[in-house]
Amino acid sequence: MSDVPFRNPGWAGNTGEFDLSEADVRGNAYAGERPLDGGHPSTSASYPFMLVARNPGAPLFEGPYQARFEKIRGRYPTARAALLPALNLAQEIRGHVSPETMDEVAALLGLSSAYVRGVATFYTMYNKRPVGRFLIQVCTNISCNLCGADEVLAAFLRHTDTELGDTSTDGNFTVVEAECLAACGFPTCVQINERYFEDVAAGDVPDILRRLTDELKGD
Amino acid sequence: MAYPYRHDKEVRVLSEGFGDPAARTVEGWKRYGGYQGIARALEIGRDATIDEVKNSGLRGRGGAGFPTGLKWSFMPKDSGRPHYMLCNADESEPGTFKDREIIRWTPHQLIEGCLVGSYAIGASHCYIYLRGEFFETTNVLARALEEAYEKGLVGRDIMGSGVDIDMTLHVGAGAYICGEETGLMNSLEGRRGEPRIKPPFPAAVGAFGMPSTINNVETLAATPHIVRHGAQWYRQWGTEKSPGTKLFCVSGHVNRPGNYELPLGFPMMELIEDICGGMRDGKALKAVIPGGSSVPIMSADDCRSCTLCYEGVEAAGSLLGCASVIVMDENTDIVKQVRRMAYFYAHESCGQCTPCREGTAWATRILRRIEDGLGTEDDLDTLIEISEQMTGTTICVLSDSLAMPIISSIEKFREDYLALIRRGERVGAA
Repeated sequence: MSDVPFRNPGWAGNTGEFDLSEADVRGNAYAGERPLDGGHPSTSASYPFMLVARNPGAPLFEGPYQARFEKIRGRYPTARAALLPALNLAQEIRGHVSPETMDEVAALLGLSSAYVRGVATFYTMYNKRPVGRFLIQVCTNISCNLCGADEVLAAFLRHTDTELGDTSTDGNFTVVEAECLAACGFPTCVQINERYFEDVAAGDVPDILRRLTDELKGD
Repeated sequence: MAYPYRHDKEVRVLSEGFGDPAARTVEGWKRYGGYQGIARALEIGRDATIDEVKNSGLRGRGGAGFPTGLKWSFMPKDSGRPHYMLCNADESEPGTFKDREIIRWTPHQLIEGCLVGSYAIGASHCYIYLRGEFFETTNVLARALEEAYEKGLVGRDIMGSGVDIDMTLHVGAGAYICGEETGLMNSLEGRRGEPRIKPPFPAAVGAFGMPSTINNVETLAATPHIVRHGAQWYRQWGTEKSPGTKLFCVSGHVNRPGNYELPLGFPMMELIEDICGGMRDGKALKAVIPGGSSVPIMSADDCRSCTLCYEGVEAAGSLLGCASVIVMDENTDIVKQVRRMAYFYAHESCGQCTPCREGTAWATRILRRIEDGLGTEDDLDTLIEISEQMTGTTICVLSDSLAMPIISSIEKFREDYLALIRRGERVGAA
């Protein structure tokens, strides 16, 4: 991680009028800290946590992930109910959910492949094909749209030099349009991997992309 | 001014802890009177808890406005089967951002609300269904829940009462339709989030085939306060038919968008002009969507005398929904915004029912054509006809939710459409 001070437009405090720190507003004290074992049995062991480093060929649910998978299964009265959290976990490990991954999850839960594919393709958060290290989701729904979301989306596409839904040649960025992210009072809202960036204007885009690229160098 | 924005006219019941990071811990939350609501519920018993909520007149804050106490009383007594409490935190109605604020600032408020609800309906397990995008929100709630378990507030024998209530966070995977109650149940069970045909209603056959009750985050968060202070205390705010306070999510072209907790029945113009600091750049008001994108659009004239309560907004020709006030100024391109909404519903339609699956996509194509200056006046009649066929003909109300903004926008802003159709000009485009 670089030491360059960064004006993160990712919280509702970028106008300098606010007397709470970013950590206070964003709860950064909590975010990103999720222990590998998934914490308490009742709490979610399966956030859609998107690791920057992905390994599409990694084995599913081994090592620390084994314990999390068992925990997920224990939380529901039926095996079927563990399907969504299990797919979340698979995506966390592999970066996307390929048809082969769906089949593996199906076998582990005792469900048919066809059933799992039917469910997985219903939900938009499962990436059916590989995405960039940073998946940039720009909300263009009504509240953000009224405040210039189209320009923000265009700026992300221009600065990453990609088409909507495609991944940049360096494999770093995929820009997609998102539906309402429930941060309508802080337009435009952009979700990058698991982080929300709020109050983003088109002019903030180069700064955000530079920061993300810096994060990759730090790894 | 500090975030979150505050205003003297606000009444802080739910939002009291907003802006105070200390309120995220059990100890900090107890300073706000936390966990006294569930303590009183355990003291007065199940039936008295339901009666208290019933008498308070609390109505569901998720959009439908169904009386909460009545919903709880539908649950069977001593059915001998497990009961489930479901909390709907799949907040995805465009314009709505209240549940996220409640959870990230005051997670214990929701946990306590879930405890009160679970106890009242006799559920020993509560599932909180969060939308998948809420990573930070889920994190905050997960930490709070872990602490609540450690302190014996959730789990076996809560607060030494002998009552067991377990709580599980369930994270969705990105589907608007999972905010529909039976769609949410299907999603929780690991199925496609397709709404179910009712009856049977959730109180008879709900999650995992067992009697279930589903409530919105804001509804549940209000119940501990009601049980703690009594129904009459809650009724000091609001109107006879819409008692209490409500979080209003204001977005769009105002100077201070944000969440404001106000008594129901508050005048809409005062909300826009005073609380939100007026229109951005001193522009004139053109239209307001008062309850999230799924309700009829109101013209500026409709707003003048409108009061923000369930019956007040209905009298003004729209619906309060989840009180997500989207404000649009004179430069707004209504056709473009309606097209964007139509695209959203077409994208999120689960595809079970033909009028919705075909209608939302067809309406989007027509609106796109009009927007591109290639529309005809007949297209408007077609849009109205499609919308009428999408109303009341499907399992859930997703297609009705698109029909309302289309019909109302053509009624109230016909000139905007006609200008595009006749001359290819956008009204309001600067």
